[in-house]
Amino acid sequence: MSVLPYAVAAWLFGVGLYGIATSRNFIHLVGCLGVCQSATYVLLLGLGYRWGSIAPIFYDHPPGTPAVDPVMQALVLTDIVVGATLTALLLVLTVQAYKRGGSLDPEKLRPMRAGGKSGQRQDAGHTSGRVSEGGRKAS
Amino acid sequence: MSPRIRVALLALSGLILLPCAAQVIAGLPAFGSTIAQYGERINAITPEARHVANMVSAINFDLRGLDTLGEEFMLLAAITGTVVLLRGRRGEGNSERAMRRPGRAVIPRSEATVLACRIAGPLTGLFGLYVVLHATVTPGGGFQGGVILASGTLLIYLGEGYAGWRDAIRSHWLDALEGGGALLFALCGLAPMLVGAAFMQNILPLGTFRDLFSGGLMPVENLGVALAVAGGFTQLFLEFMEETREAEEPDEPGEETA
Repeated sequence: MSVLPYAVAAWLFGVGLYGIATSRNFIHLVGCLGVCQSATYVLLLGLGYRWGSIAPIFYDHPPGTPAVDPVMQALVLTDIVVGATLTALLLVLTVQAYKRGGSLDPEKLRPMRAGGKSGQRQDAGHTSGRVSEGGRKAS
Repeated sequence: MSPRIRVALLALSGLILLPCAAQVIAGLPAFGSTIAQYGERINAITPEARHVANMVSAINFDLRGLDTLGEEFMLLAAITGTVVLLRGRRGEGNSERAMRRPGRAVIPRSEATVLACRIAGPLTGLFGLYVVLHATVTPGGGFQGGVILASGTLLIYLGEGYAGWRDAIRSHWLDALEGGGALLFALCGLAPMLVGAAFMQNILPLGTFRDLFSGGLMPVENLGVALAVAGGFTQLFLEFMEETREAEEPDEPGEETA
């Protein structure tokens, strides 16, 4: 019995989680989330694997040949595609946060308030107010 | 919360969760020894019941087609959110043609790059189409094929430059592709109900095993996914590229913030 694939999945998840918790940059944070997500791929494919089986495609091999679990592969397939678009969505939020606060550091992210006044320091408050006002006019 | 407290909290929760996780991992079936009964039954029954060779496509587009419909709309929602966030600030007005970044030189591409991209771009598109069409027969399907099709359009960008790429690709065509693909998938679910069958029941003739047009409704749903994925990923790229550019004359002074 080998637990190596499960250990790799757990390690990937742990490393990603540590990266998320200590991240000082939103882009780095999105990357760490991607690492966490790859842990689920490893786990699912590991669960669906069986020694001596073929891929679940019965073109060259007749139906009935032992094959690995197709459910896990279908799950991973859709997971990857949706994960890619979600990464894009998170990166867009990063762009917006940078435009608003002028920083990529999650530590410096302040709650948004009604009226476009974010809780920035005095010098940055002027810029962010201007941005949100311009954005409101454009929309 | 200071970073040090946060790491301490993470370590503490990790310590608490570690025995539980270890127990779950110990309870999992040994790696490579067996697979779940559900997958085993699908492998045994589906080639005969649905006349398709690719089990992954059979699950995605038939057996668990409802789940894939959900994934499809998740994809649509994520891309719509991205587009709304990026385009909302920029406005709809400039979406027709390529915007230029003032003060940025256009670096001419070497002829070798242009030639390689002109050859590889259409070939990549053709390969994407092949992967899409052979979803029920060989490893392939709308998700993978759609991404390959989108990469084909990126090769056009690499060869022709951004302005040339924008001349070839219209933003609202991509919107139509993306939404139309999802609509086609949803209609594939609703159409069987017109004849009294269940939602997404495979009512079309199933065709012959190992044939390109086997699987009944599956190739149609697959096409819908391919259109949505190809349109969506190209749209994502287009919006991100637009974000790095500015209109030649910004409408309001408030717009030009770095």
